[in-house]
Amino acid sequence: MNEETESFEQRLRRQPLRPLPTEWRREILEAASEACPVQPGEIVSRYSFLSELRRRFASVLWPHPVAWGGLAVVWALIFAVNISTQDKPANMAVKALPSPEVIGQSPEQQRLYAQLMGFQLTGSDDPSNPDRQKAIPPKPRSERIEFETKAAL
Amino acid sequence: MRPLGEIERLYDEHAQSIFAFLLNFTRDEHDTRDLLQEIFVKIAREPHLLENVRNERAYLIRLARNAAIDFIRRRDTRDRSRENVAVEQVSIFAKTSDPDEATFRKELSVALADLPEEQGTVAYLKLWEGLTFEEIAEILEISPNTAASRYRYALDKLRERLRPLYKEITNRTQ
Repeated sequence: MNEETESFEQRLRRQPLRPLPTEWRREILEAASEACPVQPGEIVSRYSFLSELRRRFASVLWPHPVAWGGLAVVWALIFAVNISTQDKPANMAVKALPSPEVIGQSPEQQRLYAQLMGFQLTGSDDPSNPDRQKAIPPKPRSERIEFETKAAL
Repeated sequence: MRPLGEIERLYDEHAQSIFAFLLNFTRDEHDTRDLLQEIFVKIAREPHLLENVRNERAYLIRLARNAAIDFIRRRDTRDRSRENVAVEQVSIFAKTSDPDEATFRKELSVALADLPEEQGTVAYLKLWEGLTFEEIAEILEISPNTAASRYRYALDKLRERLRPLYKEITNRTQ
């Protein structure tokens, strides 16, 4: 760098900058303090916890925080929809109660079942009834196989 | 939030520099005040910003630069929507009673404003903040070589523009 350049540079450096208006200090510091109206001590602890939490989240979500965050939101939405559409216990109890018709049919069904199982004979078991079916108590499958084998021989 | 005392300390130590830096960008005292307030409110709201920061001044200047660039974009859009906006540019230098000095400062301020933003910023940080090229490079997120070359270009342009005036004043004082 030649002498002229250095001299010019020095001259530029010596130019004093415009002073900061003194009245701004109070106004700007007031605005800064109003930005956080809570007591400084409380804010420090609250913000340091939040900032720590955010820092940890950022490190977990790195290197694609937006993508991971979006995925987390989608999962949260799915979970919320799932929860909202699920039956509540009260509704389930109401649903579990049988209708009056079902209740009315119930003794009839019980009677039919007993009839089929041969526990209780009714008029329909009359030998003169052509639709009568003989109640055969169930046997173990192995016995039937043995019988069929003997018959084949 | 940082305790108010801490904000006050930051203001007392760095506000003058940030003010001049912002004024070099905006050339408007009212806009500069708004930006300066925006920066200190931001620091008060987000205390983690200055955690683990080695060079507070450099960090604050970087914040100021980002805020100023955003602001200039907004202002350009706003001014385009209006027509014939002619606002007188404020000098970034102190006033003086010496007429020669006053003329030189005025011309220097205009010449500095006419430089491309990246050259003007480097010149300002080097000449009036006294930062090294490494520090400037860190603030502007460029290489030190780029900072140095931008500085040389800026200085050449300033010298070229101010040479007649500079020689006249120098000859008169000798």
